[in-house]
Amino acid sequence: MNKTIIFAIIILMANFAHAQNEDSVFKDSSKIVDLTEVTVYNSKKVNKATDYFKSNQSATLEDIMSRLPELSLIKRGPYGMEPSIRNLSDGRINVLIDGMKIHGACTDKMDPVTIYIEPSNLKSLEVESGGTGSFSGSSIGGTINMKKDEPLLYSGKTFSGIVQSGFQTAAKSFYEGVQLNYSTKKFGIKGTTTYRNSSNYRSGGGKIIPFSQFEKINYSLSLKYKLNERLYYLADYIGDKGYNIGYPALPMDVGFASANIGSMSLSYSDNSKKLYTWNLKVYANSVVHKMDDTKRPNVPMHMDMPGESNTKGFYAEASYRINRHQKIDVRIDASSVFLKADMTMYQPGELPMYMLTWPDNRTNQAGIAAKWNVHVSDKSSFMISGRLDGINSGLVTTESKSQMSIFGYEKKRNDFLKSVSAKAYQKAGKNISIISSLSYSERFPTATELYGFYLFNASENYDYIGNPFLNPEKSIQAELTGNYRFGRSNIKLTGYYIHVLDYITGMVNPALSVMTIGAAGVKRFEQIKFADIIGAEGSLFLNVNKNVDVVSTLKYAYGKDSENNPLVAIAPLKSIVSVRRTFNNFYVQAESEMSAAQNRVNKMAAELPTNGFAIFHLRGEYNFAFFKLNSKAQFGVENILDKNYTEHLDWGKIPRQGRNFYIQLKVAF
Amino acid sequence: MKKLFLIVSVLFAVIMSSCKKDEVQQQPVINLEKIYEGSVEGTGLKVELYSKQISQYAQYSTFWIAVKDAAGNPIQNATINVVPFMDMGSMQHSAPVENPSASAVDNLYKFSAVFIMTGNWALNINITANSQTGAVSIPLNIQAPAKPKVKSFTSSADGSKYFYAYIEPTSPVVGINDMEIAVFKTGPMMMTFPPDSSMTIGLEPEMPSMGHGSPNNVSPVHIGNGHYKGKVNFTMTGLWKLNLDFMSGGTLAGEDQYFEIEF
Repeated sequence: MNKTIIFAIIILMANFAHAQNEDSVFKDSSKIVDLTEVTVYNSKKVNKATDYFKSNQSATLEDIMSRLPELSLIKRGPYGMEPSIRNLSDGRINVLIDGMKIHGACTDKMDPVTIYIEPSNLKSLEVESGGTGSFSGSSIGGTINMKKDEPLLYSGKTFSGIVQSGFQTAAKSFYEGVQLNYSTKKFGIKGTTTYRNSSNYRSGGGKIIPFSQFEKINYSLSLKYKLNERLYYLADYIGDKGYNIGYPALPMDVGFASANIGSMSLSYSDNSKKLYTWNLKVYANSVVHKMDDTKRPNVPMHMDMPGESNTKGFYAEASYRINRHQKIDVRIDASSVFLKADMTMYQPGELPMYMLTWPDNRTNQAGIAAKWNVHVSDKSSFMISGRLDGINSGLVTTESKSQMSIFGYEKKRNDFLKSVSAKAYQKAGKNISIISSLSYSERFPTATELYGFYLFNASENYDYIGNPFLNPEKSIQAELTGNYRFGRSNIKLTGYYIHVLDYITGMVNPALSVMTIGAAGVKRFEQIKFADIIGAEGSLFLNVNKNVDVVSTLKYAYGKDSENNPLVAIAPLKSIVSVRRTFNNFYVQAESEMSAAQNRVNKMAAELPTNGFAIFHLRGEYNFAFFKLNSKAQFGVENILDKNYTEHLDWGKIPRQGRNFYIQLKVAF
Repeated sequence: MKKLFLIVSVLFAVIMSSCKKDEVQQQPVINLEKIYEGSVEGTGLKVELYSKQISQYAQYSTFWIAVKDAAGNPIQNATINVVPFMDMGSMQHSAPVENPSASAVDNLYKFSAVFIMTGNWALNINITANSQTGAVSIPLNIQAPAKPKVKSFTSSADGSKYFYAYIEPTSPVVGINDMEIAVFKTGPMMMTFPPDSSMTIGLEPEMPSMGHGSPNNVSPVHIGNGHYKGKVNFTMTGLWKLNLDFMSGGTLAGEDQYFEIEF
C-alpha cells in the first residue's frame, strides 16, 4: 500500500495564480503568471483552493490543514490539533491571524491559534514554508497566516447572510452557523456565529473513545468603513469559548477556554502610485485556559491548572514599486506577549501545593523585514528578503523570579535574530518552470523552552524543565521545485533540505526528581549540534475532461539529529487522492487517504512505531434553490470501511473516527 | 505672595515638629511582645523580657532582655547569664542556650534558648549591673509547635545524644531559601549542651505526598557556635520534608532525621 495523499491545494495554486492581485505591479508585463508563481509557490500560497479542499462545510480548519502537503497535525484530542510545517511546529513556526501574533495560554499546547478561526470566516490560508516564510516573524519553519473574511460593501444587496447546519454520526456532533452582513456603499458590518457540539466519538470498529467530547462557540464582528476610494478602515473582533473539551491522550481535559481577539487597521491601495499599497494594524488579544481533571477517574491528586496569555502589537506593511520590474515590500512590527500559568494540587489534610508552571514572563519583540522582487525577464525572476528582530525576554514578578532562582536565573535577556533568503524562478521550456530557494533563519526559544517548570509531556511521560540559557536556533534551508504544466493540468514536485543548528530538544537530567506522579523522569531543554529534515512533496492536478478532476498529493520526510537518532514526530509517507465528477448542479467526489507505517521512531521520546493505513471517503454536493435562495446540501461518508487507525502524530495512539456519515445544509440570502 | 510664604512656613514648621516628635518616641521594642516584667530580687534593678510572640514553643527561641535601674534608665553593659530549667520532679534538666554578649544593642540583650520539650520551664537569669548582682526566674509555658522544630538522635559514632533545632527559613518562599539549623551535644545530667561543630550534614528536601524533591540545594555547613547554614529550594508550596543525615568523622551519626515544613 503506497502512501499518497491528496491534496490539491498546491496545484490549484498554480492555477489560481493568475488571480493574484498582489502582483499586479507587473500587470503591464505579459509574464504576470511567472512572477506570481514565485510568490505563490514558495512563499505565499494564497489559497483560493481552500474551498475545494474544505471536504465539507462543517470541516474545521484542522481538516483543511491536514490536506495540505506541507502541513501535518499533532493530535492530542479530537479538537485543537497543533499544525506543523514540514514537521516543524510550535515556536519554530508562526501561526498568525491576519498577521497578528496570538500565544496559546495552555502549557500543554491544547489551544493552538488555529482553533480561533472557523473556516466559514476564512478568506484564505497562506502557508509559507521554510526560511522564506520569515517576512512576518522570525521563524525557521515558516508561517501559516489565516486571513479572515472582511465585511462586504454594497454591491446590490444591503442585507445578506448565510445560515448553515450540519450533523455527523461518528461523534453525534452538531454544527450550526450564521453569518449576517449589512452594507452601504461606504460601510459594511458583518457578524458570524458558529456553534459546535460533539459527543464522544466512535472509532473504527465501534469503540467509543471516552473524553473526546467538546463544545465550542465562536463569534466575530467586523466593521469596514471606506474613507475614500483608496483607504479603508477595518475593526475586527473574534471571540471564542470552549467548554468541556476532552483530550483523550492527556491526563486532563479543558473545563473552559476563552479567547478575545481584537484589531483595528487602515488599508491603502492605489495602483497608480509608487507606494501602491500599505496596511497598518494595531491589535490586542487575550486567552484564558483552564484545565480540568474532575471528570477523570482514578486521579491520584486533583489539580487546577489555569493559564493566560496577553498579547499587544502592531505592524505596518507597505509595497513600493521601483519600476516596471522591481518592487519592494517592507514590514515593521512589534509585539509584547505576557504569559502566566500555574498549578495548584490538593492533597487532603495538607495545605494546597502551588507553583508557577509558566512563571510570569514577558517577551517583547520589534522587527523589520524587507523583500525585493525583481522581474528579470519573461523567463526569470528572483526575490531576496531579510528580517531583523530585537527580542527582550524575562520574568516579570518577584514570585516568578524567586521560583526560577532555583535554576540560577533571574536576569532578562536580549537577543538579535537575523533571517535572509533568496528565491529564483526560471522557466525552462514552454511548460516547465523551476523554483529554487536558499535561506538562513533564526528563531527565539519559546516560553516553555526557557521558563517551563515541570511541564508534563504525556506522550513521553517526562516532566520538562525550561532552560533560560538556550541560544536561538538557526536554520539553513534549500528547496527546489519543478512544475510541469500541460493543458489545464499540472504536476509539481518539491524537494527540500532543512538543517537546524543548535536544535532544541529535551535531554534527560537524572539529577532532577519528577514532579508528576508516575512520570519516568525529568528532561531539560538543551541544544544538540544539529538536526536535519529532508523531504519531498508532490502534487498533481489532472483535468481529465470538462467534468472530471483528479487531485493528488504526496509527502515524505526523513529526520535525524546529529547523533543519528530519528527526530520525534516525523509524519510518514502519506498520500491523498480525490476524484471529482461534476454534473449539472451536483458533484460526487471519491477520496482515498493512505499512509505508510512509521518505524523510524525516537526511543528517547518513548515514541512507538505506527502502522500504515488506507481509508476511503465518498462525498457529494447538491446545489438547489430554496424559496429562490441559493442553497447547498452536502453529504457523505468518511472512513467507509470503518477502519481502526491512528496517524503517527496522534498522541497516545488513540484511534481516529470510524465510519462517519454527515449531512449539511447551507442557505445563502 | 507674603501670605503664601507664611502658610508654607507654618506648614513646614508643623511638619518638622511632628517629625521630631516621632524621633523622641524611640521604640526599641518595635515588633516585639513584652512577655515578662519584674524586679531582680536584692537589687534595685528591673528586667523586661521580650519575644516575637506571646506564646512560646518547643523550638529555637530568641528573646530580648532589657535591664533598667530603679529610675527606669536602661543599662547598657550588664552581665547576663541565662539557664533554662525544667523541674520534672524526679529529675531536673536544662536546655541549650546561647547567652547574650556583654553589651546591649538598642538597650536590649539578645539570647536564644532551645526548649527541647513542652511543659513548664523557667528561665533562670543571673544579672550583674551597676555593681549589683541578683537573679530572676521567669516562668514560661512551652507548647508544641504545629510541626516539631527540635529533634534529637543518639550518635552511632560516640553514643552521645544530640539535639538539633530548626532556625531558618522562618518565612519560606517558593524559590531559594537560606536554611539554618543548630546542633547541640548533651552534656552530663542534661545540664549543659555545648554547641557541636563536628557534623557533616546531608540535606534532601522531599514532598511526601508526591514523592519528589527539589534541585540545587546546598547542604548546611558549620558557620560557628553550633550553627549550620545552607540553602533549601522549594519548587512549590505545600508540605515539605527536609531529610537530614548527620555524619561524624566519616560515620553516619544520625540518619533518617528530618524536619517538616508546611506553607
